[in-house]
Amino acid sequence: MRTRPGFLRVPGALIWTAFLVAVLIVAVQGAFQTRSDIAATFDAQSRIVKAQLALEEMLRLQIDEENSIRGFTLTRDPFYAQQYAGAAQAFDEKLSEVETQLRAQHLTAALRTLEDYAAFQNNWRSKIALPLLSNPSRDGAQIDKENKAFSDYENQTADFIRDALAERNALLARSTQEQINRDAWSRTFWLAVFGLLAILFNGFRSRLVSELEEERTTTETLQRAFRSEHIPLPNCEVGSAYLSASSHLAVGGDVFDVYRLSDTLAMIFIADVSGKGVDAAVLTAFIKFTIRGIALRRRDPGAMLAEFNTAFAQTVENPYLFVSMFVGVLDTVTLQLRYASAGHDSAFVRRAAGVQQLAVTGPVLGVMEEPFETKTIYLEDGDTIVLATDGLTEARNRSGERLQEQGAMYLIASSNPQPQLLADELVAQVKALAGNQTRDDLAVLAIRVHEPGGGE
Amino acid sequence: MKAIAALVLLVCLLPSAVLADCRVNVNAHVALLGTTDDPDVFVWDSRFRLRDYEGGTFDRMQALLPHAVLARPGTRATVESCVPNFVQPKYQEKPEDAVGIVITSGPLRGQRGWVLGSAVRPMLLSSGRLRVRRRLR
Repeated sequence: MRTRPGFLRVPGALIWTAFLVAVLIVAVQGAFQTRSDIAATFDAQSRIVKAQLALEEMLRLQIDEENSIRGFTLTRDPFYAQQYAGAAQAFDEKLSEVETQLRAQHLTAALRTLEDYAAFQNNWRSKIALPLLSNPSRDGAQIDKENKAFSDYENQTADFIRDALAERNALLARSTQEQINRDAWSRTFWLAVFGLLAILFNGFRSRLVSELEEERTTTETLQRAFRSEHIPLPNCEVGSAYLSASSHLAVGGDVFDVYRLSDTLAMIFIADVSGKGVDAAVLTAFIKFTIRGIALRRRDPGAMLAEFNTAFAQTVENPYLFVSMFVGVLDTVTLQLRYASAGHDSAFVRRAAGVQQLAVTGPVLGVMEEPFETKTIYLEDGDTIVLATDGLTEARNRSGERLQEQGAMYLIASSNPQPQLLADELVAQVKALAGNQTRDDLAVLAIRVHEPGGGE
Repeated sequence: MKAIAALVLLVCLLPSAVLADCRVNVNAHVALLGTTDDPDVFVWDSRFRLRDYEGGTFDRMQALLPHAVLARPGTRATVESCVPNFVQPKYQEKPEDAVGIVITSGPLRGQRGWVLGSAVRPMLLSSGRLRVRRRLR
């Protein structure tokens, strides 16, 4: 089938689905964003804790330096001088570590204070520590006072840095908590929206499916009513099969007919209407009875198609509807088949030598006013005319590959020669090929001819 | 009657800082102790220098040092006066009291001066131990 009018109702479903997916994406993306934010905050907090530990260690090393100097002035033991050197080196390393962390946290004021602190420690070393190391017997009272002054100032600056780090840590903790709360509310909201949309969507879908099922039932009822009962033809065996598409939307306008025009002549035709649903089914009735009416007056298939084309254009106002059709007039005595094909390429003759595709002799109906050529072939005893709709050649396997004409001809050649069995087998093969998920209707009409006075 | 009313009015108009309580009372017996890391205590000859030392730059601090003596931790003293919230240390949020003391023990005994409120540790004398010790003596 070429277009899908039933699908016109699907945009609603598509919009709902898009909404659902979008909401789900927002909810999921929000969760990932929260995780990322929290991870970043924890990382920052971890770095602050490291800086706090490094600061405390630095203060301990500062006291170690002072105590080492005190020890040296009291005992003159070089051990204390070495201890002082080690503490001073470790102090500088820790100072650098704290500085890096403060810089990373953009704690500018604390960083400036740390620089002051470092400058005082260096001053203390040059004014107190080194003079005492070189001359431990210097004036104790004055040294003690200066030492105390340095110590006081350094402790004050250290307190400031400590407070700055603690404050930043608390700020991060608060911001993390707020972020978690905000995201929890946001996600709850989006999930509630998702749930609500899902409920509405389910209701919408149920209604849609119900409507489509109703329409499908109506359409199938109409199609069954319009499909031909097999009229016995002399010297012929007739078989047919019909496979409805698995989709609710896809019940289409495939129609075929075998109509006896006289004692020896029969009109056979198959057509495929673009579009689906009740409109297409009703159109198949129009086609069937119009062609029958024309066939009673005309015997030339090309002329039949031309007249039908005119009637179709005048009757059907929808410019997007068109029909592919094969019409043949079979002489059951001479086994002559005169046919015309309006864009209908699924027409074959199975002969003893192989399967032959019957040529298209004009454009599809409902598009333009063009003459349709009539062709004539002669059948032989046991030859089978196989007419199908495009559900045969357009059939796709699960990988999406089309069967096409070659595949169809292979299936026809390898099927049972008995027409009804042949039609049934073709339908079964297409169904198996598509994994029971046929996208399109498939109509098959098979007519095997016999020499008059033959066995059949 | 007028004098009482004037006194009440004066009390009402006093700034809240003056009315705020000091951590120690006048005549309290105390011990001087800095921080655990640096327990020595500066005793200043003026509460204004004490304030300048705690709130000023390092250079200013150094210049002030000749006006201070260094008391060893545990030095006993008696509180003579107290100005609440008089000192605002540079890196602290809350101000501290300036406490006027007279040193009662050690080599600086008899010397008067000013110390930070946080360097003054009240001794548990009134309720127990000192009385017992006095009795023992």
